[in-house]
Amino acid sequence: MLNNMFLKTLRDQRRSILYWGIGLIGMAVMMAAFYPTIKNMPSVNAYLQELPQNLKELFSMGGLTDYSSPVGYFSAELFSFMVPLLLLVFGVGFGANAIAGDEEKGTLGFLLANPVPRWRVVVDKFGVLLVSMLVLGMMFWAGMAVCVLGLNIDLSLLRLAEATFGAMLVALVFSSLAFMLGCVKGNKGMSMGIAGGLAVLTYFLNGLGGMVSALKDYRFLSPFYHYVEPNTLANGISPEHVLVLIGLTVVFFAISIPAFMRRDIAV
Amino acid sequence: MSQDAVIRTSGLTKYYGKQLGIDAVNLEVKPGEIFGYLGPNGAGKTTTIRTLLDFIRPTRGAATVFDLDSRQSSVEIHRRVGYLNGELALYNNMTGEDLLRYLGNLRGGLDWKYVNALAERFQCDLPRRIQGLSLGNKQKLGLIQAFMHQPELLILDEPTNGLDPLIQHEFYDLLTETKLAGRTVFLSSHILPEVEKVCDRVGIIRQGKLVTVETIETLKSHSVRKLEIHFAANVPKDKFVTIPGVRDIDIQNNVLTCTVVGSLDALVKASAQFVVVNIVSHEPSLEEIFMTYYEGANHAK
Ligand SMILES: Nc1ncnc2c1ncn2[C@@H]1O[C@H](COP(=O)(O)OP(=O)(O)OP(=O)(O)O)[C@@H](O)[C@H]1O
Ligand SMILES: [Mg+2]
Repeated sequence: MLNNMFLKTLRDQRRSILYWGIGLIGMAVMMAAFYPTIKNMPSVNAYLQELPQNLKELFSMGGLTDYSSPVGYFSAELFSFMVPLLLLVFGVGFGANAIAGDEEKGTLGFLLANPVPRWRVVVDKFGVLLVSMLVLGMMFWAGMAVCVLGLNIDLSLLRLAEATFGAMLVALVFSSLAFMLGCVKGNKGMSMGIAGGLAVLTYFLNGLGGMVSALKDYRFLSPFYHYVEPNTLANGISPEHVLVLIGLTVVFFAISIPAFMRRDIAV
Repeated sequence: MSQDAVIRTSGLTKYYGKQLGIDAVNLEVKPGEIFGYLGPNGAGKTTTIRTLLDFIRPTRGAATVFDLDSRQSSVEIHRRVGYLNGELALYNNMTGEDLLRYLGNLRGGLDWKYVNALAERFQCDLPRRIQGLSLGNKQKLGLIQAFMHQPELLILDEPTNGLDPLIQHEFYDLLTETKLAGRTVFLSSHILPEVEKVCDRVGIIRQGKLVTVETIETLKSHSVRKLEIHFAANVPKDKFVTIPGVRDIDIQNNVLTCTVVGSLDALVKASAQFVVVNIVSHEPSLEEIFMTYYEGANHAK
């Protein structure tokens, strides 16, 4: 695990990935375990159906039609908020820490004194971000798959994978933003704050955009719009929305390299 | 391969925004020498070193290491340099051994026999986690990682920071061996005796300006001492004011105080005409030496 910077960074993440993965699986299991009960409680479904449409929009459940169907239930309980949130918190934390954290700790100095070009540091650390996100997504999906099969829930494992993939992508947008800010400025707190703040802002931009007509035309600016709108769990992936999310991530990554190569390293 | 300078800076200037780091530093470090870079806190030692390694970029001027441009060829330079960070911070979540293995892998492999020999010399407990290590023990690891690939050039920022006298001695020996092997050392320090002990030449930097570069012999001959001579009776001042190199003469209660630059010989001979009770000599503080050179540099302008 100490052969190169990629493996070393991944090694440092192994516990963190494990704990977040267990959290995600735990959440999947809990939500799935409650599903049979909820399904048989017509009052819950009726209650949710009667929620003001605005409220549902605000929490990205605008498309919610039937809470008692597996797609409706898991969309609302997991994919509209919790899964992207958890992946995002993990990813933004890692992204901000990747370069800026090492810089603030002062460990970047003797690392960069090795015959390793700076771009390589950026590429390796970003690679670890992608891989950790993928591993977390797969752990969550696997947890869900076991529940779906074990409890005989009528949910396509492929759609589940596609929805998880979407959640990973939207989390990656903000994670790579935090990563990029760390490369530009080397300030971990600031990177985390800006990326996290923008995540909250754009989450509600999308939500409010669903009910306030003045904001409707700006919803497309929110990465969450491109994540929520296609209702992936029901309909599968929508290539153009996925491309927007991937495109943003690629842009942030692409800026990271020259930004880090050009500037002074603090320590 | 013949080089006339392993490190060369020309007009190297660094401003951190408006804050001056170093100002037009012209430096030459010759192959096979131990060069001491001496200066008080905030003088610009670390700034110079970080520029050489391309961690920070000069505002003006340029630097070459092995005749390679510090900015264009930083990876090649890093391959041939061993570096010790001034404000050493190591990964806490691994053992010393793992750290060295990792850094070795980044350099494409290690000679573990040599690493273990170094660890033994420095009495460094490699299998211990870095987190719990004392300051000096971390510093030893820092030294080992700088020396372990036997680089042509060592750039060491305050290498003896936190080392006990025994290990310091071991380190000085290692420096001497390194020099005998024809390799070059550039080290920063604010401890004059240390630099006098191990270096061939010294560059003195103060407030970002390289004030002088001297061999150790010259530095010593310029050295400034504060002297107190206690006489049995009062002595006439005019017997002393004419002695070359003696300044700031003051006589009170049979005690003469003065500052002497260079040799004490003339003053001692002049004093011998009278009955001397006691002579107290104060080793010059670094600041006093800086002041001499600094004033000298200003007068020269
Ligand atoms: N990142 C920075 N931002 C602003 N000013 C800086 C920065 N780094 C150094 N300086 C300033 O540049 C000057 C030179 O600092 P430098 O660290 O090179 O000194 P030094 O000789 O290494 O001192 P010390 O013996 O304390 O290590 C100081 O005035 C310092 O305040
Ligand atoms: Mg310093």
